[in-house]
Amino acid sequence: MKNFRILAFVPVLAVICFLLFRPLAETHAARSGSQSTEQSAQPAASETWSRDVAPVLYKNCATCHHPGGAGPFSLLTYADARRWAPQILNVTQSRFMPPWLPEPGYGDFADVRRLSDQDQALIKRWITGGMAPGDLKAAPPQPSYDTTWQMGKPDIILNVSQPFTLPPSGTDVFRNLIMPYPLKETHYVRAMEIKPSPASVVHHANVVIDRTGSLRRQHPADWQSGVPGMELLVDAGNRFEPDSHFLFWKPDTPALIEPQGMPWRIDPGNDLILNIHLKPSGKSETLDAQVGLYFSPDPPVKQPMLIALERDDQLNIPPGDANFVVEDSLTLPVDVEVLGAYPHAHYLGHDMQGWAILPGGEKKWLVWIKNWDIDRQSVYRYREPIMLPAGTELHMKYSFDNSATNPHNPHVPPVRVQAGNRSEDEMAHLWLQVLPVNTAANAPDPRLLLEEAWMRSRLSKTPTDQVDLYNLAGALAGQNKFSEAAAAYEQELKLGPPDARTLTALGAALEGAGQIDQARERYRGAISLAGQADSGGCDARFDLARLGVRHAEYAEAEKEFRSLLAACPEDAETRSGLGAALLGAGRTDEAVHEFQKALELDATDFTALYNLGAIAADAGDSQQAVKQLEAALRSWPASPDAHEKLATAYAQLGKLSDALVQLRTAASLAPDDAKIHSSLSQVLDAMGQSEESFTEQKRALQLDPQDADGWNNLGALLARGGQTDAARSAFEHALKIQPDHAQAKANLTRLAVRN
Amino acid sequence: MSIRAYLGCIVSVALMLTLNRATAVAQADFGVDLHGQRVRQLAGPGVRVVVLFFAASDCPISNRYVPEIKRLNQEFTKQGVRFWWVYPNADDTAQVVAGHNHEYAITGDTILDPKQTLVELADAKVTPEVAVFLVEGNGLREVYHGRIDDHYIALGQERPRAGQHDLEAAIAAALSNKPIPQPGGPPVGCSIVFLQK
Repeated sequence: MKNFRILAFVPVLAVICFLLFRPLAETHAARSGSQSTEQSAQPAASETWSRDVAPVLYKNCATCHHPGGAGPFSLLTYADARRWAPQILNVTQSRFMPPWLPEPGYGDFADVRRLSDQDQALIKRWITGGMAPGDLKAAPPQPSYDTTWQMGKPDIILNVSQPFTLPPSGTDVFRNLIMPYPLKETHYVRAMEIKPSPASVVHHANVVIDRTGSLRRQHPADWQSGVPGMELLVDAGNRFEPDSHFLFWKPDTPALIEPQGMPWRIDPGNDLILNIHLKPSGKSETLDAQVGLYFSPDPPVKQPMLIALERDDQLNIPPGDANFVVEDSLTLPVDVEVLGAYPHAHYLGHDMQGWAILPGGEKKWLVWIKNWDIDRQSVYRYREPIMLPAGTELHMKYSFDNSATNPHNPHVPPVRVQAGNRSEDEMAHLWLQVLPVNTAANAPDPRLLLEEAWMRSRLSKTPTDQVDLYNLAGALAGQNKFSEAAAAYEQELKLGPPDARTLTALGAALEGAGQIDQARERYRGAISLAGQADSGGCDARFDLARLGVRHAEYAEAEKEFRSLLAACPEDAETRSGLGAALLGAGRTDEAVHEFQKALELDATDFTALYNLGAIAADAGDSQQAVKQLEAALRSWPASPDAHEKLATAYAQLGKLSDALVQLRTAASLAPDDAKIHSSLSQVLDAMGQSEESFTEQKRALQLDPQDADGWNNLGALLARGGQTDAARSAFEHALKIQPDHAQAKANLTRLAVRN
Repeated sequence: MSIRAYLGCIVSVALMLTLNRATAVAQADFGVDLHGQRVRQLAGPGVRVVVLFFAASDCPISNRYVPEIKRLNQEFTKQGVRFWWVYPNADDTAQVVAGHNHEYAITGDTILDPKQTLVELADAKVTPEVAVFLVEGNGLREVYHGRIDDHYIALGQERPRAGQHDLEAAIAAALSNKPIPQPGGPPVGCSIVFLQK
């Protein structure tokens, strides 16, 4: 599945210093509360730096304004406060500082940086009243800032390949620094800390996960020195892998700690791209950056997703237009919790609103920024998730000011501006991090439904967008809507020159829809189109070979896998696929050899682990089978086959309770699989739970009425329960389906003898 | 910090009113250079225009203008313009400024103005701010002071790039004996730390 997206963005946690200074902040809060009433009555200043002002500066300013911090000067001492008092007064009264764009009352955010009205007034009184120091010895202790990693040593530190030289002057610089992930195994990241140096020249940064190293491949000769550009597109690869987390850094960001159960995955071959906004400082700066990752041993149990309202297609802003408005909306197909928001525009953005209309008509504000400033952009995380039921309409409404009076306007005089990824182009995006909730046990991945709704919405605006069509098709295929998916792929193919990747995906959709010959034809088309070395051709070869295994054309499959090994880079999946073809052909020893080779390449390869487990189980080596199958399930916990096979191995070991657990899981994953219900019936019978055993067997026969073994088993259960007539008719039913069914014959005879 | 300093930063009207002053001063005592030597002359042989750039080593906006001042210096030096890097704040000692100049590769004429003589002469309020003087005989006549360009509109409001280069236009006019265009807006930056008087 090709999945192009624009940036992944990340929110911030800026609470560490707040916690450090909580006692002081509380002391101050008590004071400022009482002052709010005296504010107008007593303009004369009695505030002192040590008692009143220092706590406010420490809480609101010092996270950046400390020696070595991202702020341009320190505000830790009385002398500092005096030195910078005119600027402090200016920027706090204008609310330029602390940087916080959202309007209060329109979204309840965590880590709000907005200065309270009381503190704002207090600063003004102190400065205009003469800046009394107070008892400096009684001042609160200065906050201290760790220059090393906030959360201790990271599990791995990624470095930029080459430091970037920022020129002394000129306009702001937007650069994408590529950091390859060097490990050979997958990890889940529970926290990340980004450490640019010097931080003082960095406005903000986003980390984008490039699952396929696509940006690096686009710039083979010079990727080490970074790639210019404010926005970027990356190729998300062939899995449904929607961006899920805002990985955003701004100057007061200590570390990005993900909520419990929501780590993000990083795989071998992935790159992290540091998309960074730099401001020249007056001297040449050498920008270096490190990213520290902290791993979680557990995979995510919650899968959030980033979706966006956007209206780039309508951005065609005439010069001089001070109020150019665009709107977008999207109806949610599933219940979600909104965890965070990232409004985004470039220099012309002005008023930016996001809200939700619930199915009952209630309006919930998501965010409102009345005076957008790209330099102070941020991800905003909600203090509590906002619950939005399916059917909720998400809305955005952005206005743009392309007049000469907009000081941020990069064009003098103004020119017509359209969407684009250069800073002088525009964008109209409202990204939201949503967590699907209330998902039924056997429902498809709700992110696929979100993706489908999102892509349909995008296509309603730009019907010929090939990437959107491709992603829509992928979302449909992921829901097993193969015919619809194939139609979308066909539509995309008509819009451009033949494309091996889309042809391959179309082949897979047709295969899913049961159109095997057509699928094979598309795979072959993709192979011939792509040529020998292209990865698109390799994907098509793999799918063609796998199709052979699935349809028991083992000789053909073996041939395809072997040609794949000759033409494409060796990987575990190809080895294990070849093993499966050999196993199907009855060449077990050769198959085992290939599975072992696959595991040498990737110790977590599911196909190899599963089949080695199944081979061991068939050979009666139940201990080995359990070991392999448990490993297989760690790679793919949702495989009903592996759960069922593991149940068989447990049953062979006499561990019936364990077998029952596995079968129940398998049944929940594949509720319409007759074989699983039949196995459940047998295990339940062995455990003496006759009634439930009977129910399961009946369920199995409802699903597969032509199963002679099933009817025989049902007869046996009925006979044991004394229902002789019903048992007889069940055995007879089995013999009707399979006249030579020996056990049914024997059972029928035994029944006659008993009576 | 006096009230004067605070006003200097935010009240642009006051600055505008001073623009019409045509201060004529005799050249005498203008602070010290980085070696502690008194600077007694701002002009010198062949100099027709003197430009004072008020800077502070710890002011980010002042520092961001260093490349622009260097550019103008290079552009106009041969035409008889002499640039001075003037550091008026007490904390900017010779050692601090020498380090700063090294860091920013500033090689031009530098004055420490501990008594803020030049600040008064030019009526400067913030860093960065510039004053342009015409050399008239042994004296100097201020013909421009204020912002360098329109990059910054206020603290927190800046253009992606400057559109109006006020200082450059003023120097060019001064060199060609034309009326000196005055700044289109107030200087924006860090208030000079005025001496308590």
